[in-house]
Amino acid sequence: MREKATTIYLGPQHPGITGNMMVRLKVIGDTIVSAQTEVGYLHRAFEKLQERRNWLNSFTLMCRFCVPETDPMENLYARAVESLDNIEVPERAKYIRVMVLELARIATQLMWYAGQNGSMGLYTMGQWSIGDRDYILDLFEELTGGRVYHMYQWPGGVRRDLPEGFETKVLETMDYLEKRLKDYDDLMFANAIFQKRSQGIGIVPKEDIIEHGVVGPVLRGAGIRSDIRIDEPYEVYDKLDFEIPTQEGSDVWARALVRRAEVHQSIRIIRQVLDQIPKGEITTKIPNPMKWRIPKGDTYVRAESGRGEVGYFVASDGSIHPRRAHLRGAAFVHAITLLENILPGQNIADVSVIMNSLGTCAPEIER
Amino acid sequence: MIEQIKAAFPNAENKDFDGNRLDITVNKETIPSVLLYAKDKMGFRHLSHIAYVDWIEEGEFELVYLLWSPVDKVKLFIHTRIDRENPVMENIDMIWRQANTYEREIKEMLGIEFPGLVAPDEFILEDWEDLPPFRRDFDTLEYVNRTFWHRPGREDAQDVRETIAERSGEEIPDFAQKYSR
Repeated sequence: MREKATTIYLGPQHPGITGNMMVRLKVIGDTIVSAQTEVGYLHRAFEKLQERRNWLNSFTLMCRFCVPETDPMENLYARAVESLDNIEVPERAKYIRVMVLELARIATQLMWYAGQNGSMGLYTMGQWSIGDRDYILDLFEELTGGRVYHMYQWPGGVRRDLPEGFETKVLETMDYLEKRLKDYDDLMFANAIFQKRSQGIGIVPKEDIIEHGVVGPVLRGAGIRSDIRIDEPYEVYDKLDFEIPTQEGSDVWARALVRRAEVHQSIRIIRQVLDQIPKGEITTKIPNPMKWRIPKGDTYVRAESGRGEVGYFVASDGSIHPRRAHLRGAAFVHAITLLENILPGQNIADVSVIMNSLGTCAPEIER
Repeated sequence: MIEQIKAAFPNAENKDFDGNRLDITVNKETIPSVLLYAKDKMGFRHLSHIAYVDWIEEGEFELVYLLWSPVDKVKLFIHTRIDRENPVMENIDMIWRQANTYEREIKEMLGIEFPGLVAPDEFILEDWEDLPPFRRDFDTLEYVNRTFWHRPGREDAQDVRETIAERSGEEIPDFAQKYSR
């Protein structure tokens, strides 16, 4: 007798879904036959709102594209405007930006630790890593005034200089986190449940992986050494010494190992930044924002976020408003075509494990 | 590389090379062949993005295909223009399958038709019958006023402490009064 397929809706309200989106699953028994991502619960039309805002007003919308990791978007917008208007950024500002970006990367990966384990029912890890993430948010609060949305890296540089004694606090936090990562290993990577539920699950086919738009930890988990910080260095990444960790398995386990290694590399980068950071100006004077016209042209800048490549296409028509600002998020590909292609054949219980592992961020799909 | 580009696309305009960025402008009809050539013969394997701009004054939409070559570390911008009156564009999701998602978005937000695009009808918008919202002539404010009604909110410049004091009959203490409007 032929078994009949049943349709199940995972999301938009579901503890395992990462953001306001839905995956429509067709299942036979508990095996997935087909999957389809449905979005449309969250469109805020930021890119439309920008058409009526001036170049500096738009910057406050920038950080809101993906909630867990807001800084790469700010950095992209600032760099896009700087490249269109040929603004030089002071060296000190570039170092501070790299430090902020790496702190944000650690915070994102700590949030991922929580999400990935939570999707398997291992909630202790989440309590620990979200607790430790708060120490980084404390640093952000002291530096920028905001914990989640910072609005700190603006066109021309950064908004404030490091407060007194801030370097010491960052280094202390890094020392603390390095110790904690050993505990994380014991709790997470040595855990038989985590191993069994991640090894061999959610395998992304290595064939034509670049052509399929796969980026970031997912690509590195498939053994390809690709990172925008190395491929197309921005800010001062070319002056820093760090490694790009890769793994061969291309499954949830391999991507977890990549992300774990990335936290170590980010700590290494932050220590170098604080060691090398020069004294000097933190921002270049920009024109009066109400009358700021940017020459006609377009640009596309890219940055490596915790989920992979994020890019920003900005076009100017020579007026005081951006003509078009268009974000490319990693999840735009990962959560739609890639997810729909790797889910068939998997178990229902693994859907949210795989979604977390691919770095799904719904607000990045609908901007 | 610029020589190779010039030889490969003699009809393309604007062959600028700046740092690691290369710009070419081509006819919309040649887009699939140009993209296929760039992907298979020149190593631009990664489709970074498909950006769209509405140049309403010129009566055209612009699509920019942003490609990346992982070996040569070069960004290729392929610009093309589409007539606003008859917005039809070649579908390229057989070259890069993720282009399907971009095309679904462009179709919905800009109203460009992609003949042969196999995808569900709706992507982000639901039951949308108005002008595609990312066109420049779509007036967001006018749409909102026409579609939704305004609910009277609380009165502006209302001091919460005064309201509470009025309701409860208590007086605002002196120290608080100086902050009160």
